[in-house]
Amino acid sequence: MKALTFSLIAEPDQRLDLTPLTPAALTGLTVSQIEKLRLGAGRDGLLVGDVFRLSGKDANNVVIEGGSARFDRIGAGMASGHIRVNGNIGSQAGRKMSGGAVMIEGNTGDHAGSGMSGGRVEIRGNAGNNVGGPVAGELTGMEGGVLIVRGKAGDYVGDRLRRGIIAVLKGCGDYAGYRMIAGTIVVTGRVGAMPGYLMKRGSLLFDRRPEQLSPTFVPCGEPEIAFSGLFDRYLVDENITDRPLLGPRPGRYGGDNAVSGKGEILYRRGR
Amino acid sequence: MSVAWIGSQPVPLMDAIQKAAKLLASSHCPVFSLDADVHGTRSTIALAERLGGAFDHVYGETLAREVALFTDNGGMFTTPGEARRRSSLIVLVGEIPAPHHDMLLAWSNTQPDLGDGGQRAWFHIGGAAPASRATRQFNRQLKTVPITGGDLPLSAVLAGLRARLQGRQVTSPLANVDRLGAALNKSQFPVFVFSSTSGEAAGLAMLQGLIADLNRKGRASSVFLPADDDAWGTALTSLWMTGFPPRTGFANSLPSYDPVRWDTQRMVRDKEADLHVWVSARGEMPPKGRKIKLISLSRAEAPTANATVTIAVGKAGRDHDGVAYSSRIGTFQALAATERSSLPSVSSIVQQLARALPGRQDLPC
Repeated sequence: MKALTFSLIAEPDQRLDLTPLTPAALTGLTVSQIEKLRLGAGRDGLLVGDVFRLSGKDANNVVIEGGSARFDRIGAGMASGHIRVNGNIGSQAGRKMSGGAVMIEGNTGDHAGSGMSGGRVEIRGNAGNNVGGPVAGELTGMEGGVLIVRGKAGDYVGDRLRRGIIAVLKGCGDYAGYRMIAGTIVVTGRVGAMPGYLMKRGSLLFDRRPEQLSPTFVPCGEPEIAFSGLFDRYLVDENITDRPLLGPRPGRYGGDNAVSGKGEILYRRGR
Repeated sequence: MSVAWIGSQPVPLMDAIQKAAKLLASSHCPVFSLDADVHGTRSTIALAERLGGAFDHVYGETLAREVALFTDNGGMFTTPGEARRRSSLIVLVGEIPAPHHDMLLAWSNTQPDLGDGGQRAWFHIGGAAPASRATRQFNRQLKTVPITGGDLPLSAVLAGLRARLQGRQVTSPLANVDRLGAALNKSQFPVFVFSSTSGEAAGLAMLQGLIADLNRKGRASSVFLPADDDAWGTALTSLWMTGFPPRTGFANSLPSYDPVRWDTQRMVRDKEADLHVWVSARGEMPPKGRKIKLISLSRAEAPTANATVTIAVGKAGRDHDGVAYSSRIGTFQALAATERSSLPSVSSIVQQLARALPGRQDLPC
């Protein structure tokens, strides 16, 4: 059965909340029912039929052909199924997602994967700030799942990360792993200032020595640990990276000593 | 003197009200950038709610950074009066905005009459970024003891200080940490004074963590000095009315807070809004070059450039009485007019706009 495809008719003149377009929410709906789903807010909130032309029937596989920076919350609350977006999108993609997979073939705005607890989000382009981070007023960020950014990410990657893996493959901005509670963040490429600032536990894994560390991270030598080999293999097996990240005997910093000092930064030596 | 214009033509006030009301009624997504006293803010927010619009402060970018400290982190705060009377140890953090210097200099001429009764001591935590001339002079007048770390930025100094005060290892030395540690042990109520201009959000979160650490053994707090008192007053008024700070929208009739989505300047720039209502009792002008219908309620003697409708309004505390936030007392205060004029208040104009809309209902405030 062909994937349920939403082809963009024209760039909308308002921000749209695409939360209703998850596989579980669309299953069992007729085309006319889907076309009447409301995506826009306000006095003249747009309906699905105003923005997209529909084709295909397999609601478990949703394809959005044509993106817009005004498409917010794609895959929000999703628990199963697949969504693929061919284009750029707005903020909060995969927000509070607990299962399934979202593939974005372009760039995303802020808070991609915010608060997700399961599933897999893959962003082929760049992501904005606060990847996996909480929105205003929330106490925890991402709580599980895998979030991959194949391009660059902005500041505050993995803010308040509690569980799960975030991988950024072309570098990130400042404060990666800010207020991390646990979990793992992988960054290949240049890392901005103060990675791990206020982190309590968890691991930041880099392919090079970080340049601007807080003085509350102290060098802990080059321990021979099994974890680096295991995790390198996991990254390659899951098609997250195409070669080992840390190698044997990675360098290690411990911190953030301003908090509990139980977090770590592991990096590949020699770069 | 004319107080209302359609385009650049002076018109009677009621004609301008009718024209503005037509624009508001036909707008699909009106946004409000406001800068007014409490009454003007309340009326404007009520109008935005009725029209399903969004609102932000004119200084929304600065205010959003200040609000983020509270929404993303939280902290321990006290009032300036409590700090002045009770604290024998004041620690300034980063750059304190010049409008607050007088208040702090006044504190330096007094001694706490409550608390431990000790002589008041002053410290300053600074980063590698060069301080402004005003701040350098201010610190000299207060005779602050500097806490610095060479090339370290402020957020790194705060992190290092927090670790050192807990007896943990750091990789860079900090000046005068032991002296501050001794002063903290001696003082019963140390107070850290900071502003959103003091440093990045992460550094201010570290500062609040440091204060939380101190509260495990004793008592410590902070005084937050906003970059702009009127903007902070708008934030508090908005919280009181909607439960959220500015950058709140009423798209689904209920208020929703989103500092990115409801950034009105961004909405205007990205053409997500079709009508911009600019309210500035201080006479601030909207950014130029925006091709969007504009209603301007501004303290001006001439029409606002590119505005479809301009109505001149007065400023609370100058043209008419009003209520505004004062960081000196840490709450709202009544303001008496100093140069009473015939310029209408923001609140009265917004009320007239509401009455001119279809349905002709008064606003609740």
